[in-house]
Amino acid sequence: MGNSLKAMLAGLALSAAFAAGDTSLANAGDTEIVIGAPISLTGPLAGDGKEQKWAYEQAVADINKAGGIMVKSAGKKLPVRLVVADDESSEGKVASALENLIKVQKVDALLSTHSGPMNIAGAIVAEKYKKFYMITTAFPFEWQPLKLKYSALFFFHPGPGAEVPFEIWDKLPANEKPKNPALVSEDSPDGKGFGGAFEAAAKKYGYTFAVDDPWAIGATDYSALITKLKAADVDAMLVFGSPADTVTLLRQMKELGFSVPYLHGWKGTWTGEFHEALGADSDYILTDGFWSSSYPYKGAKELGDRYEAEFKKDSVTVGAFYANAQVLAQAIEKAGSTDAGAIHDAIFGQEFKDTVVGDLKFDQTGFALIPSVATQWWQGKHQLIFPDGNWTYKPAPAWDKR
Amino acid sequence: MLKQAVPKQAWMWIAIAVVAALALLPLLPGAIDSYAFSFLFFVFIYAIMAQGWNLVAGFGGQISLGNHAFFGLGAYTTAILWSGNYLWGSLYDAYPRIYYFDPVTMVLGGLVAAVAAIIIGLPLLSKLRGDYFALGTLGFGEIVKVMFINGGDFTGGAFGVVAPAGTFDTLLPHYLVGLGLMVGVALAIRLLMRSRYGLALIAVRDDEMAASANGIDVLRVKVAAFAGSAFIAGIAGSLYTYYIFHVGPDSVFDLDWMLLPLMMTVVGGTGTLLGPILGAFVMYAVFDLARIVVPDYHPVISGLTIILAMLFLPKGLMRSFGGRVRVV
Repeated sequence: MGNSLKAMLAGLALSAAFAAGDTSLANAGDTEIVIGAPISLTGPLAGDGKEQKWAYEQAVADINKAGGIMVKSAGKKLPVRLVVADDESSEGKVASALENLIKVQKVDALLSTHSGPMNIAGAIVAEKYKKFYMITTAFPFEWQPLKLKYSALFFFHPGPGAEVPFEIWDKLPANEKPKNPALVSEDSPDGKGFGGAFEAAAKKYGYTFAVDDPWAIGATDYSALITKLKAADVDAMLVFGSPADTVTLLRQMKELGFSVPYLHGWKGTWTGEFHEALGADSDYILTDGFWSSSYPYKGAKELGDRYEAEFKKDSVTVGAFYANAQVLAQAIEKAGSTDAGAIHDAIFGQEFKDTVVGDLKFDQTGFALIPSVATQWWQGKHQLIFPDGNWTYKPAPAWDKR
Repeated sequence: MLKQAVPKQAWMWIAIAVVAALALLPLLPGAIDSYAFSFLFFVFIYAIMAQGWNLVAGFGGQISLGNHAFFGLGAYTTAILWSGNYLWGSLYDAYPRIYYFDPVTMVLGGLVAAVAAIIIGLPLLSKLRGDYFALGTLGFGEIVKVMFINGGDFTGGAFGVVAPAGTFDTLLPHYLVGLGLMVGVALAIRLLMRSRYGLALIAVRDDEMAASANGIDVLRVKVAAFAGSAFIAGIAGSLYTYYIFHVGPDSVFDLDWMLLPLMMTVVGGTGTLLGPILGAFVMYAVFDLARIVVPDYHPVISGLTIILAMLFLPKGLMRSFGGRVRVV
């Protein structure tokens, strides 16, 4: 018992050490700007987190290369230091990551993590501690009703995002337009949310899903689903699922000889790992994204080239994350300080020109709209179809004819 | 029960000193804004959850893998009552902070979880034992999560429910309520385990048939422990809502809310009163330090700690270091 109580007292001493650590890790105040970012370094979204971390690091390096951020209150340009904390791909852990960044690392402002619910959790913690939290990748319907003062968001609406495949189909020649499309969404909050948006979009564009089934996360046998799709003579599939599940589904579709000309994936089809897992079988598959290096905007191509040179693959997300850091840096410069209220005033109702996602115009609620992207995998690269892509959609032939 | 290694009086004074030190911590300059404060708040939540799991599994011998569902039920109950103003009507307009740490709301969070435990516990505990009961409770957790995802506007569907985050001004009430609940739950379990019911629970854990032969209503004893455990988890969920403000199916029905308290209890000492608290302190400190020092590799450190603890402290800290400890 005595030793146990000693251990408990050691726990208390550890707590005191945390408190003491607060001061030693404080930032230099007027010598640098510390930007914090909760990122999914582990967990199911670690693939996204890797791209996000790289993009933030690139943005900070580029800002520092240009001398830093001009801060009026300091009377000079200050260098930026990026500090990241793992949110473990979990909503609950985002709060702990932010507590660490705000209280231990003493960050001046924050860049967001990835995915809506996690960013909502992050924005609420930032609001509590009055630190500005710059967000991309959350749906406005999730964030806007909260009427938060110390966060801003740029992303697309799920409704128009879900309409992208239907807009693509509208422009196809009559013989290529799907007649029996199917919706296959994972049985998760995101899948449920997106599934509803697809159903609404299908109704709007006059389509009926021949199969509209949820699929269990982590399932290993999709033969029943594939048999059902075959029986319904499905010729187009909208698939919302994780990379691992989507890869398993596609492998089993090939094994069972079932192919559709149009297969458009969300969430699980855009990462480089998806292509690495499937190789040439990833060709013809359409995927979602938030950005393209084919965009005509300043710095977009250079950023894409840099990513490709380092990782030997391209990305449809890094530009959005890079732009997130661009907006925050410009806002701090406009505000002349890192005060959350001043950054709010510098973003809400203001326009940010020449980011790698184009010009961003924030409304009075702090939201700016960017389009959802659709690309087609071709020989390991994302070819931009929507919006305004130069790539012509190629329908997929049967597996043995590819 | 085993004999105590430290005189009862000394143990009591040390425990009072530790709790007093924690209670006085907010008076230290800068303490409320320090990381230690939020660290301790999370330790309190996990310690409460661990204590709840320990009641049904450690003292009752029924391995529940569904306590995350009860945590979620408590969290959702609080968020729904608050955001929909289902409890206080026009008083809410006059006192906008009426739901914030409202004891009635928090107790209702616990009660909803306890009622759910009774409803599911009666069929499960009357038919299933051991691994089968554990799997049944795991299944229950998944069912509850899916029900909330499909709950429409009432549960906020896949997105969940948002409570008014603007109410937050300081972490002080979270800390004090968390500390109070951790201590209160420990004292309540101590009293409970020293009562006739506690003896019956231990008897059921050690030998169901012998307990039954001695006139103990086995099912009633087990269901009561299960409901008590759920009540504690529900209260913890309610407290968490006042911190997180956004209650979603992925956050409050996360399996971590069952697995981590389970691990903390095992590391601290299953079936002991201080084990869950000690385990929560030690394990959360290891997890948190690893997250801060090696953010890219912290699961390796956490995993290694668990493996080492199981290899060298299979009975848990309390039983390994405490020698002949008095269990409660």
